[in-house]
Amino acid sequence: MNLKNLSIKGKLMLITMLTSSVALVLLSASFLVYDLISFRHVISEDLGTQAEIIGYNSAAAMAFKDASTATATLQALKAKEDVVAAVLYGTDGKVFAQYVRGNVTRPDLPPDDTSINGYRFRGSYLEVFHPVSFNGDPVGTLFLQSDMNQWSSRAKNYAVFLGLFLLVSAFVALLIASRLQILISQPILRLEDTMKVVSAKRNYEVRALKFYDDEIGRLIDGFNTMLAEIQQRDAALQGANDELKTRTQELETEISHRKKTQEELLGAKRAAEDASRAKSAFLANMSHELRTPLNAIIGYSEMIEEEIQDSGQIQNVQDVKKVQSAGKHLLALINDVLDLSKIEAGKMALSLENFEVAAMVQEVTATLQPAIAKNSNALQLELSEDLGTMRSDITKVRQILSNLLSNASKFTDHGTISMHVDRVSTSDRQWIRFRVCDTGIGISTEHQANLFKEFAQADVSIARKYGGTGLGLAISHRFAQLMGGSISVESEPGEGSVFTVLLPIQATADVAGATPKAEGTPAVAQETNPGAETILVIDDDPAVRDLMSRFLTKIGFHVVAAAGGEEGLKLAKRVNPVVITLDVMMPDVDGWGVLKRLKADPALSKIPVIMVTIVDNEVAGINLGASSYLVKPVDRDRLAELIEQYRGRNGSADHQAVMAGVERAANEGKTSKRRDPRYRSN
Amino acid sequence: MPIKILLVEDNEMNRDMLSRRLERRGYRVIAAQDGAQGVELAHSESPDLILMDMSLPVMNGWEATRLLKDDPLTRHIPIIALTAHALATDRVRAIEAGCDDYDTKPLDFARLQEKIHGALLEKKPS
Repeated sequence: MNLKNLSIKGKLMLITMLTSSVALVLLSASFLVYDLISFRHVISEDLGTQAEIIGYNSAAAMAFKDASTATATLQALKAKEDVVAAVLYGTDGKVFAQYVRGNVTRPDLPPDDTSINGYRFRGSYLEVFHPVSFNGDPVGTLFLQSDMNQWSSRAKNYAVFLGLFLLVSAFVALLIASRLQILISQPILRLEDTMKVVSAKRNYEVRALKFYDDEIGRLIDGFNTMLAEIQQRDAALQGANDELKTRTQELETEISHRKKTQEELLGAKRAAEDASRAKSAFLANMSHELRTPLNAIIGYSEMIEEEIQDSGQIQNVQDVKKVQSAGKHLLALINDVLDLSKIEAGKMALSLENFEVAAMVQEVTATLQPAIAKNSNALQLELSEDLGTMRSDITKVRQILSNLLSNASKFTDHGTISMHVDRVSTSDRQWIRFRVCDTGIGISTEHQANLFKEFAQADVSIARKYGGTGLGLAISHRFAQLMGGSISVESEPGEGSVFTVLLPIQATADVAGATPKAEGTPAVAQETNPGAETILVIDDDPAVRDLMSRFLTKIGFHVVAAAGGEEGLKLAKRVNPVVITLDVMMPDVDGWGVLKRLKADPALSKIPVIMVTIVDNEVAGINLGASSYLVKPVDRDRLAELIEQYRGRNGSADHQAVMAGVERAANEGKTSKRRDPRYRSN
Repeated sequence: MPIKILLVEDNEMNRDMLSRRLERRGYRVIAAQDGAQGVELAHSESPDLILMDMSLPVMNGWEATRLLKDDPLTRHIPIIALTAHALATDRVRAIEAGCDDYDTKPLDFARLQEKIHGALLEKKPS
């Protein structure tokens, strides 16, 4: 068994026992040695004294050579048990008398050397030599031999005693040690037990018992502090764990809650989408149902107008025109209800054109005249002289103004409605300002805030009293924003209202966001095939622009479309297209004019132009510099074929060169179909 | 000899109004009330051009157009679709069905005339 792995109790006992035993043995041994040495000295002294006495007693006998007396003297040594031999030597060294215990013949007597004075230890014997003198004269030498039995028995006794003493003291030491080691081992063993409990049961609440305020006591204190710390940490950890669990549970609840909400939202979204689809379908159907009779109204009134003009009854023309105007106005309104759904869907776009502001305003006020007159209101029209033309979406401007005028006439009775139109300029733009003032019931401040929101008429009672959908101002507001302008109101209840519309003289497609127009017709630009080569389509017919854009986009081009010649020229400079397709019959500048100006501009003259028109006058087109000529309806394959020739190219000088020889005169006799009286529309 | 136009339109007022206006321009107008009748008249009357409403009873305009364009006897007759729905998909469908051109209702008579004229010019070379 390895001592090092002995239990602490065993170690302590062993240490105590070893230490005490070694100390005792060493002590006893030293005592024993000292005692034996000193005892040997005592017995040698004693033997010396014996020799002196016997020498003295036998000196006279020696001097007188009386051997028997001398022998008798020596016989006295019988009383001394330890003296085994005594010899008297004469001066000549011969044995004079001798005594041997038990009268045994001793071959080692006399000793080999008799000249020694004093004592000596030889073997297990102590020998003393003592000179014998008589009256100062040496007469011989006395030799005494002791067997040291006394000494060895003493040593034997001593050894036995010491052995017993050692045994007893070791036993006592063992008893004491076994009691005292508890002082050290017990706290440690108890500490160990505590540790076992802690580690086995993970119980950090137990504490080791402290016995004494010594190092072990401090160790236990340290251990307990550590336990307390662990317990605290454990509690904190447990707390954190519990909290985490709680949080996780909360999160799970939250997640499931959100999932549920999400599902509900999805359901709601689907329902909303279904509703939206239903609404779109409804609007489409309504527009169809409303347009069909309108088609008849407008068509018949146009027909009647023609017939009246043919028959010469000019006085009735105005009435028929009012029917037509009202029909067209109604049509515009239907379109605007459709538009509202597009506004809501963010799909509203502008159809820009140039028009005379004054003429437009007069047309609107004329249309609204019956409504204004209904409540006995007077209309004042103030048009600034420098109005000129503006570029905007005329239908939307008209609608804004008729909305404002019809509102004003609805809410004014026996009052005055005035329309002021002028030009204003700000640092960066020129504006047309329309102000519609009335002397009606006015609008309170809180109602002004909701005025331009959808379905938010100032008051429910007003809706009942005055009618209307509540869409007018909202649409007007959104239209004004679309055209880059704004609409605002100033009003005092009872004092009347002033609505001010500010519209830029030049509305741009950028302002409108260039989103595809109603029914998918691109207003100006359709952002598709980014990075592809650009083709400019100039055509006043939205249907043609639409078809061409779709087709050209499909075959991999980026298409920019213009509704008129001026716009086309501007866009040509801006986008530098690879090919331009050009219609001939357009309201502002016709295709020939556009072609001439394109070819006159050095920056644009190289761009191939494909004439796409119903006017069959190819030679004129080629002579003016057109690269190709297509007659509507366009053969798509032919168009694709032509355009493929120009892909990746700039300019078509070669084509012009080929056609240079075509006889100019061939064009002279022909006329544009528009001038052909057979096809005049009115 | 006047140009003969077949007008296929179910709405009586529109049919009456359109045919009268076209007749005023010197065209001869034959009218049909539904797609089936339109196809029948296209065969029997061999018109120079067909104005085809798309939403028709019995047989709709797309179907009638497809039938006419599949038939070698009537294939050459230009067809202009008249779509009441102001929806781009209707026009695309009309062109896909084989219509040569289209116009949307309410009709702008001047614009329609241009289209009629264009369609007739296109037909002429063949």
